[in-house]
Amino acid sequence: MNARFKTKFKLSTIGWIFILPATLLLLLTKFWPIIRALVLSFQSGVGLNTSFVGAKNYIRMLHDNLLHTSIFNTFFYLLLQVPIMLIIAIILAVILNDSRLKLKGFFRTAIFLPCATSLVSYAIIFRSLFARDGFINLILMKTNIINNPINWLSSPWPARIVIIIALTWRWTGYNMIFYLAGLQSIDPSIYEAAKIDGASAFTSLRKITIPLLKPMILLTSITSISGTLQLFDETKNLTNGGPANSTISISQYIYNLSFAYSPQFGYAAAVSFLVLIMVAILSFTQMKVGDRR
Amino acid sequence: MKRKLSVLLIVAMLVTMLGSCGTASNNKGGKNNSKSSGNALTVWCWDKNFNIYAMNEAAKIYQKDHPDFKLNVVETPWDDVQTKLTTAVTSGQTGTLPDILLMQDNALAKNITNYPKTFVDLTNSGIDFSKFAQYKVALSTVNSKVYGVPFDSGTAVTALRTDVLQKAGYTINDFKNITWSRFIEIAKDVLKKTNIPLLSSQAGSPDLVMMMLQSAGTWTFKGDKLYISDNPALLKAIDVYVELVKSKVLVEVNNWDQYVGTFNTGKVAGAMTGCWILASVQANKDQKGKWAVTNIPKLDGIENATNYSSVGGSSWLVLSTSKNKDLAIDFLGKTFAGSTELYNTILPTSSAIATWGPAGTGSNYEIAHEFFEGQKIFQDIVEYGKNVPKVSYGVYNYEARDAIGTAITKIISGTDKAAALKEAESTVKFQMGK
Repeated sequence: MNARFKTKFKLSTIGWIFILPATLLLLLTKFWPIIRALVLSFQSGVGLNTSFVGAKNYIRMLHDNLLHTSIFNTFFYLLLQVPIMLIIAIILAVILNDSRLKLKGFFRTAIFLPCATSLVSYAIIFRSLFARDGFINLILMKTNIINNPINWLSSPWPARIVIIIALTWRWTGYNMIFYLAGLQSIDPSIYEAAKIDGASAFTSLRKITIPLLKPMILLTSITSISGTLQLFDETKNLTNGGPANSTISISQYIYNLSFAYSPQFGYAAAVSFLVLIMVAILSFTQMKVGDRR
Repeated sequence: MKRKLSVLLIVAMLVTMLGSCGTASNNKGGKNNSKSSGNALTVWCWDKNFNIYAMNEAAKIYQKDHPDFKLNVVETPWDDVQTKLTTAVTSGQTGTLPDILLMQDNALAKNITNYPKTFVDLTNSGIDFSKFAQYKVALSTVNSKVYGVPFDSGTAVTALRTDVLQKAGYTINDFKNITWSRFIEIAKDVLKKTNIPLLSSQAGSPDLVMMMLQSAGTWTFKGDKLYISDNPALLKAIDVYVELVKSKVLVEVNNWDQYVGTFNTGKVAGAMTGCWILASVQANKDQKGKWAVTNIPKLDGIENATNYSSVGGSSWLVLSTSKNKDLAIDFLGKTFAGSTELYNTILPTSSAIATWGPAGTGSNYEIAHEFFEGQKIFQDIVEYGKNVPKVSYGVYNYEARDAIGTAITKIISGTDKAAALKEAESTVKFQMGK
């Protein structure tokens, strides 16, 4: 009894020692700042002169029109872009998983490659593609789809659409990799059986692939949603939040509050916690909805 | 299959790791050498061909009398200067700050008001501020204390393509000392005859409207009170801007590169902003001898309206956390506030036009500039600078500018002017926490 306890104790101590450095680093670099930010979110004032104001910052968010605009924009990206991207990613993954397809490696790399580009440089390339005299307008004009160039980034709705296109281009390949990995673990004999039973490609996608990929879909939608809620690089570099704040994201608003405007770190921290709460709620509901065993 | 996938994943991991290594080393580059020894100074500024060059030339001049003097310029883009300053001061890690930094005039009052103890009050430092253009001194004055040594001029100019004007039957003199209504009248005519618009601007950028505002000697604040929806000069300036856009004599583009591209490629026959734009105007050598410079139009029917204004520009600040404050002040005093030679040296290559009065006597200021039909542009611009109305940009300048930019975009797309400006006003008030 005593010996068994000793070994158990020894094993768990070794385990603890192994995870200790990572845990300490995590506590120090992640959790400590989060706690400090929480304290900060109850303070107010400009620059260095701050004082405790209770929940004033949180109440203030209710009346902040610019914050409401940024929340609207972010959720617009979220509701439109995440489903489109994930559906395309599944379809691509299924196509690329087909054993009859040639040059599979090439296509996989090509679709994944956008993901390896820097966020800033791809945003700048999209900006020039969608310029008034850019490539996209040129193509649309030459093919007579439009007569006058569309000023994509200077009109609210086209600008939002461009951001969605850019996000989809950048992140679809990333999610596709997860689905490809998931598809590897599905036994091909299930598909063969379905084929013998006369199931069409669409039926087997709907009845076999998607249910079996559920854990992966859950994972990718949580990471995509939390990623979109923290969207910054794309809006900052593509449109800088304009025109008239119609593409500004919550993170960019937080940045503006802290660095572009007279710094209001207390309020900025409070807005950050709003994002945290939103991510938590969305992830929790998804886990509940997705995890019906 | 799995192997291929894992190779792909490893490649992706390596790429991201390489990416982060790149950023990490960049950060290190910016941080080094912030601790200066007794006779060395560290400076943050951002443009190799402009202010960094000027700083290094200033060091050479100072070294003649102080052979031990060393200057370490750390190239820091303006956005980084602002974020580094904010983080260093608010976290109390002031050891990372330099001895001198260059600050955009737009942000000067904001930073000094928010961090009053971070910058040295230069009012009684022995630097003679009366020799600088007074509008620049006004911009670096907070609570009647002067904090900044003015550097480059933001004096507003109208630069126009004389060959295009000629085709339409005009000369540069038709644009001198005129009003905005006359400008629009001529611009429409030029557009009709040549199909070339005279101006361009970045969509959503309030620069042009703010320039008109300062030309009438007012700003978005009157004392501590917001002065937006009841500011006649602002209402007029927005009307002018909307008419420029609607009559198509001004083309709106999306970003800075495209803006510079409009006149470099000849799609637009002019530029109207701070005189620092002249460096970009000269980028296309084919247009040599086809440009000329004059002052800006003035607002019609507005009290105190002038043909002079300022856009952009920057000033040197000394940090009070520096161990070599006295050296920093002496250095700035003997160079940027005391050396005609310095301004004369940097003028031809950098086009950095001085705001220090005596600099105008330097021989290079009399150069008849080939690119501008032999016009003595530097002398002209120094003259304009003497007439720029004094205003104070204030602590909430960025908030107000952003709100006005938003309002302009909305007004152009059809929102009622009064409503859009009321909204702008309430946005700024909200940002101010009122």
